[in-house]
Amino acid sequence: MPTIIACYKWVLDEQDIKINPGNLDLDTSRAKSKISDYDRNAIEEAVLQGEKSGAEVASLTFGSGNAKQSLKDALSRGPAKAYWVNDDLANSADAFVTANVLAAALKKIGQYDVILCGEGASDTYAQQVGPRVATLLGIPAITFVSEMKIEGDKVVATRKIGDCTEEVTVPFPVVVTLLPEINKPRIPSLKQVLGAAKKPTTEWSVADLGLTAEETTAKNKVKSVKGFVMSRKNVIYKDGTPADKVASLVASLTKEGVL
Amino acid sequence: MAGIWIYSEDTIIAQQSITLGKELAAAMQQPICALTINEQDAQSLIAAGADKVIVLKGNNSWPESYAAAIAAQAAQAQPDVLFIGGTLRGKDLAAKAAAALKVGLITDAQKVQFVDGALETERMLYGGLAVCTEVLGGMNVITIPPRAYDVPAQDASRSGEIVSVDVQADATMAVGNVCPIVRQGADISVAEKLVCVGRGVGKQEDMKLAEDLAAAMGAEICCTRSVAEDYHWLPNEAYVGLSGQKVKPVIYLSMGVSGQVQHVAGIRDSKLIVAIDTNENAPIFAAADYGIVGDLYQIVPLLTEAIKSKA
Repeated sequence: MPTIIACYKWVLDEQDIKINPGNLDLDTSRAKSKISDYDRNAIEEAVLQGEKSGAEVASLTFGSGNAKQSLKDALSRGPAKAYWVNDDLANSADAFVTANVLAAALKKIGQYDVILCGEGASDTYAQQVGPRVATLLGIPAITFVSEMKIEGDKVVATRKIGDCTEEVTVPFPVVVTLLPEINKPRIPSLKQVLGAAKKPTTEWSVADLGLTAEETTAKNKVKSVKGFVMSRKNVIYKDGTPADKVASLVASLTKEGVL
Repeated sequence: MAGIWIYSEDTIIAQQSITLGKELAAAMQQPICALTINEQDAQSLIAAGADKVIVLKGNNSWPESYAAAIAAQAAQAQPDVLFIGGTLRGKDLAAKAAAALKVGLITDAQKVQFVDGALETERMLYGGLAVCTEVLGGMNVITIPPRAYDVPAQDASRSGEIVSVDVQADATMAVGNVCPIVRQGADISVAEKLVCVGRGVGKQEDMKLAEDLAAAMGAEICCTRSVAEDYHWLPNEAYVGLSGQKVKPVIYLSMGVSGQVQHVAGIRDSKLIVAIDTNENAPIFAAADYGIVGDLYQIVPLLTEAIKSKA
Protein backbone atom coordinates (compact mmCIF):
# COMPACT_ATOMS: atom_id res chain seq x y z
CA MET A 1 0.00 0.00 0.00
CA PRO A 2 1.60 3.27 -1.04
CA THR A 3 2.06 6.19 1.33
CA ILE A 4 1.13 9.71 0.24
CA ILE A 5 2.30 12.68 2.27
CA ALA A 6 0.88 16.15 1.70
CA CYS A 7 3.10 19.01 2.89
CA TYR A 8 1.56 22.31 3.87
CA LYS A 9 2.55 25.66 5.34
CA TRP A 10 0.62 27.47 8.06
CA VAL A 11 0.67 31.10 6.90
CA LEU A 12 -0.81 34.46 7.83
CA ASP A 13 -3.94 35.26 5.90
CA GLU A 14 -2.82 38.14 3.70
CA GLN A 15 -6.38 39.53 3.69
CA ASP A 16 -5.99 40.41 7.37
CA ILE A 17 -2.65 42.20 7.04
CA LYS A 18 -2.85 45.97 7.20
CA ILE A 19 -0.26 48.43 5.99
CA ASN A 20 0.62 51.33 8.24
CA PRO A 21 0.24 54.31 5.88
CA GLY A 22 3.01 56.31 7.57
CA ASN A 23 6.04 54.02 7.53
CA LEU A 24 4.58 51.23 5.36
CA ASP A 25 5.22 48.67 8.08
CA LEU A 26 2.97 45.63 8.06
CA ASP A 27 0.49 45.26 10.88
CA THR A 28 -0.08 41.54 11.35
CA SER A 29 -1.53 41.87 14.87
CA ARG A 30 -5.04 41.03 13.69
CA ALA A 31 -4.06 38.50 11.06
CA LYS A 32 -5.42 35.02 11.42
CA SER A 33 -3.54 32.05 10.05
CA LYS A 34 -4.60 29.54 7.43
CA ILE A 35 -3.30 26.57 5.53
CA SER A 36 -1.63 28.12 2.50
CA ASP A 37 -4.20 28.17 -0.32
CA TYR A 38 -2.19 26.09 -2.78
CA ASP A 39 -1.33 23.56 -0.10
CA ARG A 40 -5.04 22.92 0.41
CA ASN A 41 -4.97 21.60 -3.14
CA ALA A 42 -2.10 19.32 -2.12
CA ILE A 43 -4.02 17.89 0.84
CA GLU A 44 -7.15 17.45 -1.29
CA GLU A 45 -5.23 15.67 -4.05
CA ALA A 46 -3.52 13.39 -1.53
CA VAL A 47 -6.90 12.40 -0.14
CA LEU A 48 -8.46 11.91 -3.59
CA GLN A 49 -5.51 9.77 -4.71
CA GLY A 50 -5.70 7.85 -1.44
CA GLU A 51 -9.37 7.09 -2.04
CA LYS A 52 -8.56 5.81 -5.54
CA SER A 53 -5.42 3.80 -4.79
CA GLY A 54 -6.00 2.74 -1.19
CA ALA A 55 -2.87 4.63 -0.20
CA GLU A 56 -2.32 5.78 3.35
CA VAL A 57 -2.41 9.58 3.53
CA ALA A 58 -0.60 11.76 6.05
CA SER A 59 0.05 15.49 6.32
CA LEU A 60 3.34 17.15 7.25
CA THR A 61 4.06 20.70 8.31
CA PHE A 62 6.92 22.71 9.74
CA GLY A 63 5.66 25.55 11.90
CA SER A 64 6.03 27.28 15.24
CA GLY A 65 3.70 26.72 18.19
CA ASN A 66 0.76 28.51 16.59
CA ALA A 67 0.68 25.86 13.86
CA LYS A 68 -0.86 23.49 16.41
CA GLN A 69 -4.32 24.62 15.34
CA SER A 70 -3.45 23.69 11.75
CA LEU A 71 -3.31 19.98 12.58
CA LYS A 72 -7.04 19.68 13.15
CA ASP A 73 -7.75 21.77 10.06
CA ALA A 74 -5.50 19.53 7.95
CA LEU A 75 -6.88 16.29 9.40
CA SER A 76 -10.49 17.38 8.89
CA ARG A 77 -9.67 17.51 5.18
CA GLY A 78 -9.07 13.76 5.11
CA PRO A 79 -5.52 12.58 5.97
CA ALA A 80 -5.34 9.71 8.48
CA LYS A 81 -2.52 11.24 10.51
CA ALA A 82 -0.50 14.41 10.86
CA TYR A 83 3.20 15.11 11.40
CA TRP A 84 4.28 18.46 12.82
CA VAL A 85 7.81 19.74 13.21
CA ASN A 86 7.12 22.27 15.95
CA ASP A 87 9.91 24.82 16.24
CA ASP A 88 10.26 28.60 16.45
CA LEU A 89 12.93 28.24 13.80
CA ALA A 90 10.01 28.20 11.34
CA ASN A 91 9.51 31.93 11.92
CA SER A 92 12.92 32.79 10.48
CA ALA A 93 13.33 29.89 8.07
CA ASP A 94 13.84 30.48 4.37
CA ALA A 95 13.10 27.89 1.70
CA PHE A 96 16.60 26.40 2.13
CA VAL A 97 15.98 25.72 5.84
CA THR A 98 12.36 24.64 5.33
CA ALA A 99 13.37 22.12 2.68
CA ASN A 100 16.13 20.75 4.92
CA VAL A 101 13.66 20.33 7.78
CA LEU A 102 10.94 18.72 5.64
CA ALA A 103 13.40 16.36 3.96
CA ALA A 104 14.79 15.32 7.36
CA ALA A 105 11.26 14.80 8.69
CA LEU A 106 10.36 12.68 5.67
CA LYS A 107 13.46 10.56 6.26
CA LYS A 108 12.40 10.14 9.88
CA ILE A 109 8.88 9.15 8.82
CA GLY A 110 10.73 6.61 6.73
CA GLN A 111 8.02 5.75 4.27
CA TYR A 112 6.93 7.98 1.41
CA ASP A 113 5.96 7.09 -2.12
CA VAL A 114 4.29 10.29 -3.28
CA ILE A 115 4.99 13.64 -1.62
CA LEU A 116 2.57 16.38 -2.64
CA CYS A 117 3.16 20.12 -2.31
CA GLY A 118 1.37 23.22 -3.58
CA GLU A 119 3.18 25.05 -6.37
CA GLY A 120 4.12 27.79 -3.94
CA ALA A 121 3.19 29.20 -0.53
CA SER A 122 0.61 31.98 -0.45
CA ASP A 123 2.89 34.20 1.67
CA THR A 124 6.30 33.89 -0.03
CA TYR A 125 5.24 32.19 -3.27
CA ALA A 126 8.86 31.18 -3.72
CA GLN A 127 7.92 28.00 -5.58
CA GLN A 128 10.97 26.08 -4.51
CA VAL A 129 10.42 23.93 -1.43
CA GLY A 130 8.93 20.99 -3.37
CA PRO A 131 11.76 20.54 -5.89
CA ARG A 132 14.33 21.32 -3.19
CA VAL A 133 12.95 18.53 -0.99
CA ALA A 134 13.10 16.13 -3.94
CA THR A 135 16.74 17.00 -4.62
CA LEU A 136 17.65 16.58 -0.95
CA LEU A 137 15.97 13.16 -0.88
CA GLY A 138 17.61 12.23 -4.19
CA ILE A 139 14.28 11.61 -5.89
CA PRO A 140 12.61 13.27 -8.90
CA ALA A 141 10.19 16.19 -8.70
CA ILE A 142 7.33 16.71 -11.11
CA THR A 143 6.40 20.37 -10.91
CA PHE A 144 3.40 22.46 -12.04
CA VAL A 145 1.04 19.51 -12.37
CA SER A 146 -2.53 20.04 -13.58
CA GLU A 147 -3.60 16.37 -13.57
CA MET A 148 -2.17 13.23 -12.01
CA LYS A 149 -2.90 9.57 -11.51
CA ILE A 150 -1.21 6.72 -9.73
CA GLU A 151 -0.66 3.62 -11.85
CA GLY A 152 0.80 0.77 -9.83
CA ASP A 153 4.07 2.12 -8.46
CA LYS A 154 4.27 5.07 -10.83
CA VAL A 155 2.89 8.58 -11.00
CA VAL A 156 1.67 9.75 -14.40
CA ALA A 157 1.24 13.50 -14.39
CA THR A 158 0.42 16.27 -16.82
CA ARG A 159 2.57 19.36 -16.34
CA LYS A 160 1.42 22.70 -17.59
CA ILE A 161 4.40 24.88 -18.33
CA GLY A 162 3.68 28.14 -20.06
CA ASP A 163 2.89 27.42 -23.64
CA CYS A 164 2.73 23.63 -23.54
CA THR A 165 1.67 20.63 -21.54
CA GLU A 166 3.68 17.45 -21.20
CA GLU A 167 3.04 14.07 -19.69
CA VAL A 168 5.62 12.74 -17.25
CA THR A 169 5.86 9.22 -15.88
CA VAL A 170 8.01 8.59 -12.82
CA PRO A 171 8.33 5.56 -10.53
CA PHE A 172 7.93 6.04 -6.74
CA PRO A 173 9.15 7.78 -4.70
CA VAL A 174 8.47 11.20 -6.18
CA VAL A 175 7.63 14.77 -5.20
CA VAL A 176 4.74 16.32 -7.12
CA THR A 177 3.92 20.06 -6.97
CA LEU A 178 0.38 20.95 -7.95
CA LEU A 179 -1.26 23.81 -9.78
CA PRO A 180 -4.39 25.13 -8.06
CA GLU A 181 -6.56 24.10 -11.01
CA ILE A 182 -6.03 20.39 -10.21
CA ASN A 183 -8.97 20.19 -7.79
CA LYS A 184 -11.39 22.09 -5.58
CA PRO A 185 -10.44 21.60 -1.94
CA ARG A 186 -13.38 20.33 0.09
CA ILE A 187 -14.98 22.30 2.89
CA PRO A 188 -14.79 19.89 5.84
CA SER A 189 -18.13 18.83 7.29
CA LEU A 190 -18.86 19.07 11.00
CA LYS A 191 -18.45 15.30 11.26
CA GLN A 192 -15.02 15.51 9.60
CA VAL A 193 -13.99 18.34 11.91
CA LEU A 194 -15.05 16.35 14.98
CA GLY A 195 -13.42 13.21 13.60
CA ALA A 196 -10.13 15.07 13.11
CA ALA A 197 -9.66 15.43 16.86
CA LYS A 198 -9.42 11.64 17.20
CA LYS A 199 -6.74 11.16 14.54
CA PRO A 200 -3.13 10.55 15.61
CA THR A 201 -0.55 13.35 15.43
CA THR A 202 3.21 13.14 15.78
CA GLU A 203 5.22 16.12 16.99
CA TRP A 204 8.96 16.63 16.66
CA SER A 205 11.27 19.57 17.22
CA VAL A 206 14.06 20.46 14.81
CA ALA A 207 16.55 19.04 17.32
CA ASP A 208 14.95 15.61 16.83
CA LEU A 209 15.91 15.67 13.15
CA GLY A 210 19.70 15.73 13.49
CA LEU A 211 20.35 18.73 11.26
CA THR A 212 23.57 20.76 11.40
CA ALA A 213 23.73 24.44 12.34
CA GLU A 214 24.46 25.29 8.72
CA GLU A 215 21.40 23.43 7.54
CA THR A 216 19.17 25.38 9.90
CA THR A 217 20.55 28.85 9.14
CA ALA A 218 18.77 31.02 6.58
CA LYS A 219 20.98 32.05 3.68
CA ASN A 220 20.11 35.71 3.28
CA LYS A 221 19.40 38.63 5.56
CA VAL A 222 15.98 40.22 5.37
CA LYS A 223 16.66 43.95 5.36
CA SER A 224 13.06 45.12 5.30
CA VAL A 225 9.49 44.07 4.63
CA LYS A 226 7.35 47.01 3.59
CA GLY A 227 3.87 47.45 2.19
CA PHE A 228 3.85 47.75 -1.57
CA VAL A 229 2.47 51.02 -2.82
CA MET A 230 1.70 51.51 -6.43
CA SER A 231 1.76 55.08 -7.43
CA ARG A 232 -1.27 55.55 -9.63
CA LYS A 233 -3.29 58.59 -10.57
CA ASN A 234 -6.44 57.45 -8.73
CA VAL A 235 -8.79 59.67 -10.70
CA ILE A 236 -12.14 58.06 -9.94
CA TYR A 237 -15.40 59.37 -11.38
CA LYS A 238 -18.15 58.76 -8.84
CA ASP A 239 -20.71 61.49 -9.34
CA GLY A 240 -23.06 62.40 -12.12
CA THR A 241 -25.05 60.37 -14.59
CA PRO A 242 -23.52 57.29 -16.21
CA ALA A 243 -23.20 59.31 -19.43
CA ASP A 244 -21.29 62.08 -17.61
CA LYS A 245 -18.90 59.61 -16.05
CA VAL A 246 -18.28 57.84 -19.34
CA ALA A 247 -17.65 61.19 -21.07
CA SER A 248 -15.11 62.15 -18.37
CA LEU A 249 -13.34 58.81 -18.65
CA VAL A 250 -13.21 58.91 -22.44
CA ALA A 251 -11.78 62.43 -22.27
CA SER A 252 -9.08 61.30 -19.83
CA LEU A 253 -8.16 58.22 -21.83
CA THR A 254 -8.04 60.25 -25.02
CA LYS A 255 -5.64 62.65 -23.35
CA GLU A 256 -3.49 59.70 -22.29
CA GLY A 257 -3.45 58.59 -25.91
CA VAL A 258 -4.52 55.03 -25.19
CA LEU A 259 -7.77 54.83 -27.13
CA MET B 1 34.20 33.45 -6.14
CA ALA B 2 33.85 35.01 -9.50
CA GLY B 3 31.44 35.79 -12.22
CA ILE B 4 27.85 36.61 -13.02
CA TRP B 5 26.25 33.49 -14.45
CA ILE B 6 23.15 33.47 -16.59
CA TYR B 7 21.07 30.56 -17.80
CA SER B 8 17.76 30.06 -19.50
CA GLU B 9 16.49 27.28 -21.72
CA ASP B 10 15.02 30.13 -23.76
CA THR B 11 17.80 32.14 -25.43
CA ILE B 12 15.71 35.32 -25.70
CA ILE B 13 15.11 35.27 -21.94
CA ALA B 14 18.81 34.57 -21.34
CA GLN B 15 19.58 37.67 -23.39
CA GLN B 16 17.12 39.72 -21.33
CA SER B 17 18.96 38.63 -18.19
CA ILE B 18 22.25 39.68 -19.81
CA THR B 19 20.86 43.24 -19.78
CA LEU B 20 20.66 42.99 -15.99
CA GLY B 21 24.02 41.22 -15.91
CA LYS B 22 25.64 44.14 -17.74
CA GLU B 23 24.18 46.63 -15.25
CA LEU B 24 25.74 44.67 -12.41
CA ALA B 25 29.00 43.74 -14.15
CA ALA B 26 30.27 47.29 -14.01
CA ALA B 27 29.61 47.64 -10.27
CA MET B 28 30.75 44.12 -9.38
CA GLN B 29 33.72 44.13 -11.74
CA GLN B 30 32.88 40.61 -12.75
CA PRO B 31 32.65 38.94 -16.15
CA ILE B 32 29.35 37.56 -17.48
CA CYS B 33 29.19 33.88 -18.28
CA ALA B 34 26.11 32.46 -20.00
CA LEU B 35 25.22 28.78 -19.95
CA THR B 36 23.11 27.26 -22.67
CA ILE B 37 21.83 23.94 -23.88
CA ASN B 38 21.26 25.46 -27.33
CA GLU B 39 24.69 25.24 -28.97
CA GLN B 40 23.62 27.17 -32.06
CA ASP B 41 22.78 30.22 -29.87
CA ALA B 42 26.19 30.54 -28.18
CA GLN B 43 27.42 33.24 -30.53
CA SER B 44 24.28 35.35 -30.03
CA LEU B 45 24.83 35.29 -26.26
CA ILE B 46 28.35 36.64 -26.79
CA ALA B 47 26.97 39.30 -29.12
CA ALA B 48 24.39 40.22 -26.47
CA GLY B 49 27.13 40.84 -23.91
CA ALA B 50 28.33 37.56 -22.41
CA ASP B 51 32.10 37.32 -21.96
CA LYS B 52 32.02 33.55 -22.00
CA VAL B 53 29.50 30.87 -22.93
CA ILE B 54 29.42 27.34 -21.56
CA VAL B 55 27.51 24.99 -23.86
CA LEU B 56 26.11 22.04 -21.95
CA LYS B 57 26.01 19.00 -24.18
CA GLY B 58 23.88 16.17 -22.90
CA ASN B 59 21.71 13.53 -24.45
CA ASN B 60 18.38 14.83 -23.13
CA SER B 61 16.21 17.44 -24.80
CA TRP B 62 14.21 18.08 -21.61
CA PRO B 63 15.61 21.32 -20.12
CA GLU B 64 14.82 20.48 -16.47
CA SER B 65 17.15 17.47 -16.65
CA TYR B 66 20.18 19.80 -16.65
CA ALA B 67 19.70 21.08 -13.08
CA ALA B 68 22.34 18.83 -11.55
CA ALA B 69 24.77 19.52 -14.40
CA ILE B 70 24.41 23.29 -13.99
CA ALA B 71 24.81 22.97 -10.23
CA ALA B 72 27.99 20.94 -10.74
CA GLN B 73 29.44 23.61 -13.04
CA ALA B 74 28.60 26.33 -10.51
CA ALA B 75 29.98 24.31 -7.61
CA GLN B 76 33.30 24.15 -9.43
CA ALA B 77 33.53 27.76 -10.62
CA GLN B 78 31.77 29.39 -7.63
CA PRO B 79 30.15 32.34 -9.40
CA ASP B 80 28.85 35.23 -7.27
CA VAL B 81 25.37 34.73 -8.60
CA LEU B 82 23.47 32.49 -10.98
CA PHE B 83 20.55 34.18 -12.74
CA ILE B 84 17.99 31.82 -14.21
CA GLY B 85 15.20 32.89 -16.56
CA GLY B 86 11.99 32.63 -14.54
CA THR B 87 9.92 30.46 -16.86
CA LEU B 88 8.23 27.55 -15.08
CA ARG B 89 10.91 25.23 -16.47
CA GLY B 90 13.50 27.68 -15.20
CA LYS B 91 11.98 27.83 -11.72
CA ASP B 92 11.95 24.04 -11.49
CA LEU B 93 15.60 23.90 -12.51
CA ALA B 94 16.56 26.82 -10.24
CA ALA B 95 15.12 25.15 -7.13
CA LYS B 96 16.86 21.86 -7.88
CA ALA B 97 20.17 23.59 -8.61
CA ALA B 98 19.94 25.74 -5.45
CA ALA B 99 19.23 22.65 -3.34
CA ALA B 100 22.19 20.80 -4.86
CA LEU B 101 24.44 23.82 -4.28
CA LYS B 102 23.06 24.38 -0.77
CA VAL B 103 22.53 28.05 -1.54
CA GLY B 104 19.67 30.54 -1.36
CA LEU B 105 17.23 31.12 -4.18
CA ILE B 106 15.40 34.39 -4.72
CA THR B 107 12.32 33.72 -6.85
CA ASP B 108 11.17 36.40 -9.30
CA ALA B 109 13.44 39.21 -8.15
CA GLN B 110 11.93 42.51 -9.21
CA LYS B 111 15.05 44.47 -8.52
CA VAL B 112 18.67 43.40 -8.16
CA GLN B 113 21.33 45.88 -7.08
CA PHE B 114 24.91 45.76 -5.90
CA VAL B 115 25.08 47.79 -2.68
CA ASP B 116 28.08 48.06 -0.35
CA GLY B 117 29.75 44.99 -1.75
CA ALA B 118 26.71 42.72 -1.65
CA LEU B 119 23.77 41.91 -3.88
CA GLU B 120 20.44 43.21 -2.72
CA THR B 121 17.13 41.97 -4.09
CA GLU B 122 13.50 42.95 -3.89
CA ARG B 123 10.62 40.54 -4.29
CA MET B 124 6.90 40.30 -3.55
CA LEU B 125 5.40 38.85 -0.38
CA TYR B 126 1.82 38.09 0.63
CA GLY B 127 0.48 37.95 -2.88
CA GLY B 128 1.88 41.36 -3.80
CA LEU B 129 0.85 43.19 -0.63
CA ALA B 130 4.43 43.71 0.50
CA VAL B 131 7.98 43.96 -0.80
CA CYS B 132 10.81 42.07 0.87
CA THR B 133 14.34 43.44 0.53
CA GLU B 134 17.11 40.96 1.19
CA VAL B 135 20.87 41.24 1.41
CA LEU B 136 22.37 38.12 -0.09
CA GLY B 137 25.01 36.17 1.77
CA GLY B 138 27.28 34.29 -0.58
CA MET B 139 26.37 32.67 -3.86
CA ASN B 140 22.64 32.71 -4.65
CA VAL B 141 20.42 31.59 -7.46
CA ILE B 142 17.99 34.30 -8.60
CA THR B 143 15.14 33.82 -11.06
CA ILE B 144 14.29 36.77 -13.26
CA PRO B 145 10.75 37.06 -14.66
CA PRO B 146 10.58 36.86 -18.45
CA ARG B 147 10.41 40.27 -20.18
CA ALA B 148 11.56 42.12 -17.07
CA TYR B 149 14.48 43.47 -19.10
CA ASP B 150 14.84 44.33 -22.77
CA VAL B 151 16.92 42.18 -25.07
CA PRO B 152 20.28 43.95 -25.54
CA ALA B 153 21.34 45.01 -29.02
CA GLN B 154 23.48 42.40 -30.75
CA ASP B 155 27.07 43.52 -31.21
CA ALA B 156 28.55 41.15 -33.77
CA SER B 157 32.04 42.53 -33.20
CA ARG B 158 32.18 41.21 -29.63
CA SER B 159 34.21 38.12 -29.10
CA GLY B 160 34.29 35.69 -26.24
CA GLU B 161 35.24 32.22 -25.25
CA ILE B 162 32.81 29.41 -26.07
CA VAL B 163 33.39 26.19 -24.17
CA SER B 164 31.52 22.95 -24.68
CA VAL B 165 31.10 20.60 -21.75
CA ASP B 166 29.74 17.07 -21.96
CA VAL B 167 27.31 16.59 -19.12
CA GLN B 168 25.14 13.82 -17.78
CA ALA B 169 21.49 14.81 -17.95
CA ASP B 170 19.09 13.33 -15.42
CA ALA B 171 17.11 10.49 -17.02
CA THR B 172 14.79 9.45 -14.18
CA MET B 173 11.76 11.07 -15.77
CA ALA B 174 10.02 9.76 -18.87
CA VAL B 175 8.58 12.76 -20.68
CA GLY B 176 6.17 12.44 -23.57
CA ASN B 177 3.02 13.77 -25.14
CA VAL B 178 4.30 17.32 -25.36
CA CYS B 179 1.36 19.39 -26.62
CA PRO B 180 1.34 23.08 -27.30
CA ILE B 181 -1.51 24.83 -25.49
CA VAL B 182 -3.74 26.17 -28.21
CA ARG B 183 -4.79 29.61 -27.17
CA GLN B 184 -8.25 30.89 -27.84
CA GLY B 185 -7.34 34.38 -28.93
CA ALA B 186 -4.06 36.16 -28.51
CA ASP B 187 -1.39 35.70 -25.87
CA ILE B 188 -2.56 38.13 -23.19
CA SER B 189 0.89 38.32 -21.61
CA VAL B 190 2.09 40.41 -24.56
CA ALA B 191 -1.21 42.13 -25.47
CA GLU B 192 -1.11 45.92 -25.83
CA LYS B 193 -4.68 46.44 -24.65
CA LEU B 194 -6.73 44.30 -22.28
CA VAL B 195 -10.29 44.21 -21.04
CA CYS B 196 -10.56 42.19 -17.83
CA VAL B 197 -13.73 40.48 -16.66
CA GLY B 198 -14.38 39.91 -12.97
CA ARG B 199 -17.18 38.42 -10.92
CA GLY B 200 -19.18 41.63 -11.13
CA VAL B 201 -20.25 40.28 -14.51
CA GLY B 202 -23.17 38.14 -13.44
CA LYS B 203 -23.83 35.73 -16.28
CA GLN B 204 -21.83 34.09 -19.02
CA GLU B 205 -24.12 35.72 -21.63
CA ASP B 206 -22.94 39.10 -20.36
CA MET B 207 -19.43 38.34 -21.60
CA LYS B 208 -20.84 39.94 -24.75
CA LEU B 209 -20.45 43.33 -23.00
CA ALA B 210 -16.73 42.69 -22.61
CA GLU B 211 -16.41 41.35 -26.13
CA ASP B 212 -18.08 44.43 -27.61
CA LEU B 213 -15.91 46.80 -25.59
CA ALA B 214 -12.77 44.85 -26.46
CA ALA B 215 -13.70 44.95 -30.14
CA ALA B 216 -14.22 48.71 -29.99
CA MET B 217 -10.86 49.22 -28.23
CA GLY B 218 -8.96 46.65 -30.26
CA ALA B 219 -8.23 44.84 -26.99
CA GLU B 220 -7.93 41.21 -25.92
CA ILE B 221 -10.02 39.76 -23.11
CA CYS B 222 -8.66 38.39 -19.85
CA CYS B 223 -10.26 37.62 -16.51
CA THR B 224 -9.81 37.01 -12.80
CA ARG B 225 -8.99 33.59 -11.41
CA SER B 226 -12.53 32.67 -10.38
CA VAL B 227 -13.98 33.54 -13.78
CA ALA B 228 -11.64 30.95 -15.32
CA GLU B 229 -11.27 28.36 -12.57
CA ASP B 230 -14.71 28.38 -10.97
CA TYR B 231 -16.94 29.46 -13.86
CA HIS B 232 -14.90 28.34 -16.88
CA TRP B 233 -16.11 31.28 -18.97
CA LEU B 234 -12.58 31.68 -20.27
CA PRO B 235 -9.68 29.19 -20.38
CA ASN B 236 -7.22 29.08 -17.49
CA GLU B 237 -4.61 30.73 -19.72
CA ALA B 238 -6.76 33.87 -19.70
CA TYR B 239 -6.64 34.59 -15.99
CA VAL B 240 -4.37 37.28 -14.65
CA GLY B 241 -2.73 37.20 -11.26
CA LEU B 242 -0.03 35.80 -9.05
CA SER B 243 -0.56 32.19 -10.12
CA GLY B 244 -1.82 33.17 -13.58
CA GLN B 245 -0.54 35.49 -16.28
CA LYS B 246 1.45 38.63 -15.60
CA VAL B 247 0.45 41.30 -18.06
CA LYS B 248 2.00 44.62 -19.05
CA PRO B 249 -0.36 46.28 -21.52
CA VAL B 250 -0.52 49.97 -22.39
CA ILE B 251 -4.07 49.96 -21.06
CA TYR B 252 -5.78 47.46 -18.78
CA LEU B 253 -9.49 48.10 -18.27
CA SER B 254 -11.39 46.00 -15.73
CA MET B 255 -15.10 45.54 -15.30
CA GLY B 256 -16.54 44.04 -12.15
CA VAL B 257 -13.08 43.22 -10.76
CA SER B 258 -12.76 43.83 -7.01
CA GLY B 259 -8.95 43.82 -7.12
CA GLN B 260 -7.66 41.24 -4.64
CA VAL B 261 -3.92 41.57 -4.07
CA GLN B 262 -3.16 38.41 -6.03
CA HIS B 263 -4.93 39.84 -9.07
CA VAL B 264 -3.29 43.25 -8.74
CA ALA B 265 0.10 41.49 -8.58
CA GLY B 266 -0.51 40.36 -12.16
CA ILE B 267 -1.42 43.82 -13.51
CA ARG B 268 1.03 46.05 -11.69
CA ASP B 269 3.27 46.49 -14.73
CA SER B 270 0.38 47.86 -16.81
CA LYS B 271 1.03 51.37 -18.06
CA LEU B 272 -2.51 52.55 -17.35
CA ILE B 273 -5.07 50.81 -15.14
CA VAL B 274 -8.76 51.65 -15.54
CA ALA B 275 -11.50 50.16 -13.35
CA ILE B 276 -15.28 50.01 -13.52
CA ASP B 277 -17.06 48.61 -10.49
CA THR B 278 -20.12 49.31 -8.35
CA ASN B 279 -18.28 49.14 -5.05
CA GLU B 280 -16.57 52.44 -4.32
CA ASN B 281 -14.42 50.74 -1.70
CA ALA B 282 -13.18 47.95 -3.96
CA PRO B 283 -9.37 47.74 -3.72
CA ILE B 284 -9.09 47.93 -7.52
CA PHE B 285 -9.70 51.70 -7.34
CA ALA B 286 -6.60 52.19 -5.20
CA ALA B 287 -4.64 50.44 -7.94
CA ALA B 288 -6.29 52.37 -10.76
CA ASP B 289 -5.26 55.45 -12.69
CA TYR B 290 -8.83 56.10 -13.76
CA GLY B 291 -12.09 54.59 -12.67
CA ILE B 292 -15.83 54.81 -12.72
CA VAL B 293 -17.91 53.87 -9.73
CA GLY B 294 -21.11 52.60 -11.28
CA ASP B 295 -23.11 49.74 -12.64
CA LEU B 296 -21.07 48.10 -15.36
CA TYR B 297 -24.28 47.10 -17.16
CA GLN B 298 -24.96 50.81 -17.68
CA ILE B 299 -21.42 52.08 -18.02
CA VAL B 300 -19.86 49.53 -20.36
CA PRO B 301 -22.37 49.84 -23.26
CA LEU B 302 -22.09 53.63 -23.08
CA LEU B 303 -18.31 53.40 -23.05
CA THR B 304 -18.33 51.02 -26.01
CA GLU B 305 -20.49 53.41 -28.01
CA ALA B 306 -18.39 56.42 -27.04
CA ILE B 307 -15.19 54.70 -28.17
CA LYS B 308 -16.80 53.51 -31.40
CA SER B 309 -18.02 57.00 -32.23
CA LYS B 310 -14.51 58.39 -31.68
CA ALA B 311 -13.01 56.05 -34.24
